Amino acid sequence: MIYDIRQTTSYAYGSFVPFAAHVLRLMPLSNAGLDVLECDMIIDPKPSEYAVTRDFFGNATTHVTLKAPHNRLVVESRSVVQLAVGPLIDPLTTPPWEAVRGAAHATPSLAPRSPAHQIFASKHVPIDAAFLDYAAPLFAPGRPILAAAIDLMTQIHTDFRYDPAATDVMTPARDAFAFRRGVCQDFAHIMIGCLRSLGLAAAYVSGYLRTHPLPGMPRLEGADAMHAWVSVWCGERAGWQDLDPTNAIRAGGGDHVPLAFGRDYSDVSPIDGVIFDSGRHSVSVAVDVTERAEA
Amino acid sequence: MSEAGASEALIAGYRPLPGVYDEMVDAAGRVRPHWTAFVDRLAAEGQASLAQRFNAADRYLKDSGVYYRVYDDPTAGERQWPLSHVPLLISPQDWAAIEAGVIQRAKLIEAVLKDVYSGGRQLSALGLPASLIAGSPDFLRPLVQTDQPSPRQLHLYAVDIGRSPNGQWWVLRDRTQAPSGAGFALENRIALSRAMADVFRGFDVERLAPFFDALRVELASHRETDDAGVCLLTPGPLNETYFEHAYLARYLGLRLVEGIDLLVLGGSVYLRTVGGLRKVRVLLRRIDGDFADPLELNGRSRLGIPGLVQAALRGNVTLANGLGSGLAEARALLGFLPTLAEPLINERLTLPNVATWWCGQPAAREAVLESLGQRVIAPAYSRVAGGIPQGGPWVMPDLDGSQRETLRAAIERRGVDFVGQEMLKLSTMPVWVDGRLEPQPFTFRVFVAATADGYKVMPGGFALVGPHDLGAVSMQRGARSADVWVLSDGPVQQTTLIPSETQIVVRRAAGVLPSRAADNLFWLARYIERAEETLRLVRALAVRVSAERSEGLPGVGGIAELLVRWGAAPTDPHANPALIGLTALARSQFDGAVPALVAAARRAASVTRDRFPADAWRALEDLNAFLLSPETREIAEVAVLEKASTAIRLIAAVTGFQLETMNRQAGWRFVKLGLRIERALATCRFARQFARAQGGSRDELDLLLELNDCHITYRSRYPLGAAFAPVMDLVLLDESNPRSLLFQLSRLKGHVLALPLLPPTNRPSPALAVADRLHAIVSVLDPVKIRHDDILGIENGLMQLSDEISMSYFRVRDPFATEGEAS
Repeated sequence: MIYDIRQTTSYAYGSFVPFAAHVLRLMPLSNAGLDVLECDMIIDPKPSEYAVTRDFFGNATTHVTLKAPHNRLVVESRSVVQLAVGPLIDPLTTPPWEAVRGAAHATPSLAPRSPAHQIFASKHVPIDAAFLDYAAPLFAPGRPILAAAIDLMTQIHTDFRYDPAATDVMTPARDAFAFRRGVCQDFAHIMIGCLRSLGLAAAYVSGYLRTHPLPGMPRLEGADAMHAWVSVWCGERAGWQDLDPTNAIRAGGGDHVPLAFGRDYSDVSPIDGVIFDSGRHSVSVAVDVTERAEA
Repeated sequence: MSEAGASEALIAGYRPLPGVYDEMVDAAGRVRPHWTAFVDRLAAEGQASLAQRFNAADRYLKDSGVYYRVYDDPTAGERQWPLSHVPLLISPQDWAAIEAGVIQRAKLIEAVLKDVYSGGRQLSALGLPASLIAGSPDFLRPLVQTDQPSPRQLHLYAVDIGRSPNGQWWVLRDRTQAPSGAGFALENRIALSRAMADVFRGFDVERLAPFFDALRVELASHRETDDAGVCLLTPGPLNETYFEHAYLARYLGLRLVEGIDLLVLGGSVYLRTVGGLRKVRVLLRRIDGDFADPLELNGRSRLGIPGLVQAALRGNVTLANGLGSGLAEARALLGFLPTLAEPLINERLTLPNVATWWCGQPAAREAVLESLGQRVIAPAYSRVAGGIPQGGPWVMPDLDGSQRETLRAAIERRGVDFVGQEMLKLSTMPVWVDGRLEPQPFTFRVFVAATADGYKVMPGGFALVGPHDLGAVSMQRGARSADVWVLSDGPVQQTTLIPSETQIVVRRAAGVLPSRAADNLFWLARYIERAEETLRLVRALAVRVSAERSEGLPGVGGIAELLVRWGAAPTDPHANPALIGLTALARSQFDGAVPALVAAARRAASVTRDRFPADAWRALEDLNAFLLSPETREIAEVAVLEKASTAIRLIAAVTGFQLETMNRQAGWRFVKLGLRIERALATCRFARQFARAQGGSRDELDLLLELNDCHITYRSRYPLGAAFAPVMDLVLLDESNPRSLLFQLSRLKGHVLALPLLPPTNRPSPALAVADRLHAIVSVLDPVKIRHDDILGIENGLMQLSDEISMSYFRVRDPFATEGEAS
């Protein structure tokens, strides 16, 4: 499947910002299952310093500095990616969750995709007794890891309401959990918190959903903006398996285009910045993900 | 009494705890050989003399303003540094072993950090569980560089050690983030050696100065001649050990900076100075690594410098210590270091660390759970990473059954978050309590500096000693600190703590002055001067209202009006003048009242402690304490005169010290500018209030002369008494009167002229034009024809001058000082 992805993020500042430094994570990188065919970014106003690097987890990061006073910032990213969709792994064939936990704790690999990075509390995701109590009943002794994780995803989808008004990017996962509502970021943080509280490795994936559903399919929540879901480590063989608790579906079926991978939102946030200004600002994001007709 | 008899008496009541090693006496109660001379010397001194000497040491620390901040008690604020007066003596043999042991450990930790920050290949190959590293909140992933060797991580390293009952020294904790305490060790040593100079001279104690020299030389080796010098990056005055940051900066000749003083452009770090941006190539870091860059590390940090990570990765700045060095403080690592030593540095560790089992591995976890009742359980990483349950360390014998079970379940589920540790019975050292020696447990912090010349260990350090035995003796929990004397086999070279002349290159060029420091010095001077002018008003008012009929006296109404207009007292038409004077002197809730002005001055001084003379600080503290004392706050109206006069004397001490002892470089200029502007403003305002061309009273003109401190000069010149034109001439226009307006303006002009030119075009600040204009206007004023509007115009000009100085030199948020104009 080939997708055309277009994202425009616009900031409007209350006053002129004399100086700003940003880190952007808006370009997909080719990896297993994803080929980036074209990729391009336009930043307005034109930055005075511009450098593209990779962060620890392998995400493409763009460092920009704006030295001229500006009262708006528009970042437009466009890419064409090819998604290889294969059959999804059968959850019941994955190892018992306790064994996977032991393997995650014991792995000697400190490489970017090692599960070792994904078992501890992170900036947005605490290890919490409430998470543990919520998830533990689903993890019966010996239950295959992916089956239990899918149960957890389904339980979250059932118990929580999708409500963009309930939270914002700074809402702690504990609060969203207590409210039982939130957006994709909250759903993902809560599910990661539950898995890590059990000692399991779970990562945060940001990306896109196809904007227009296939005929006869429901429109997915989060399709008009950037999306986020969870990647669960299921042992050396099955590796990372993606689950979308916002829509209660597995995220390897062709509707999800991954962009960045990390421990939580703070590792993958699309635009991080420090601006030297005290005024208010507003932001708007427009996303369009269209499937290209096969040639 | 014989000398031996006195010594016996001194230690007669000294009883080491059963089963615990004591540093001073052995199990049979005999004084250990390396302590005998010292014990004899103490005994010979006698109780009264010792008490006197110990008091002198305390007084020195108090006078030097040595303090630390207590976090969990916000009301306590700064607390005086508590010194335990009896030093810990270390024998030459013990020291040799400690020194070798900590150097080995420094090498090993450097090797671990280097490997982790180059991708962890060696540790992986050795089979070390990656989660051991990944769990640390101080493992800063953006610093990992797999394509090039990582720079030195550990420049300054500290180890907390303790001695077990069998006499063996053990490492309790590694301090690798930004070790604190070296400055306090220095202060302890200076305090003790001042109080007991003669006692000290009798012993061959290793000196601390060479260690600090080596550190200074090492840090300076990373700088280049045209840069801003070595900077010490502090989180600011609210930090627990800010005093130490300021002290070390001053002692080592470093620039004390906060994140807001620095800026990253094009991958290099710059200091914002009054002369524009200056490159920074070395940072002695005292803020936690995670807080150092809000862009790539902790986005919530308000202390950091956006872009610092990239500057570090590009090798454009040397960070001491590396941003990610805190990783090695993890307790989890303690259990693995002994086995890593052979493969990583090809040595066996001679100094063991406290037995530690990381519960992330099944075998260690089982072992800990089996002997849970005899262990200390602690968080595996330096900071509590949010494991369940919160808190720790937990001393298992202290927990009840259900608490133990909660902990057991948590360890079984997420063993990675916990370590089990052996409970160590720490050795004891003598502490002087109520006139006698008493054994108390302690830990000893040893400092190591990595230099081009190899590792240097500070022969000394400080001991934390407290009445309770626990692994976690901490200043925050009421412990005291003691000096550590490392005894030498032979005579010690008598070096001083003051840097030797051969090592200092003479430099006369103006130093680099950070913009924020200039800003604070400028306002410090303005607040102090305003406080003084307010006090002059209060004193003049008090003199007049102490007469019987106060309201009718000339000048009283005018003074009260000015004090109200200056915000020193509330607007209240019914307030009597005496009450207004009292309020202006003693009520801190009004911004213009003296206590509030002095508090503002103190705040400004407290963030420039490295540049502010210690004597001036002490004088400012005295003034502040005087104003806040109950005797001042609860004074009756009749005592206002006396208190105001005392306060004026105390202020004179501040300005005297400040001006006499600050060297005449850029910082001093800003102090003078602030002082002159404020004094000129006050003179103008006094003149407008008390001098009227027509219908003015002679008494009010007298008052103006009094406030301007020139009535004696006036009387000698004009025997006929005060008249408008001659008074205006003397107060405003006579350059020979050091309080006249023209005198201030001519000095102001000189100071502004001496300020740095503004980059990039090297033009003078617009402040120069303002100062020139004001000086020219006032020079040609005719004293007979001066109108209030003329004076008001000068006042506006003075405020414009202050603004222009701020715009040119203090604006920290404007990064365009060098490049903006071009773009």
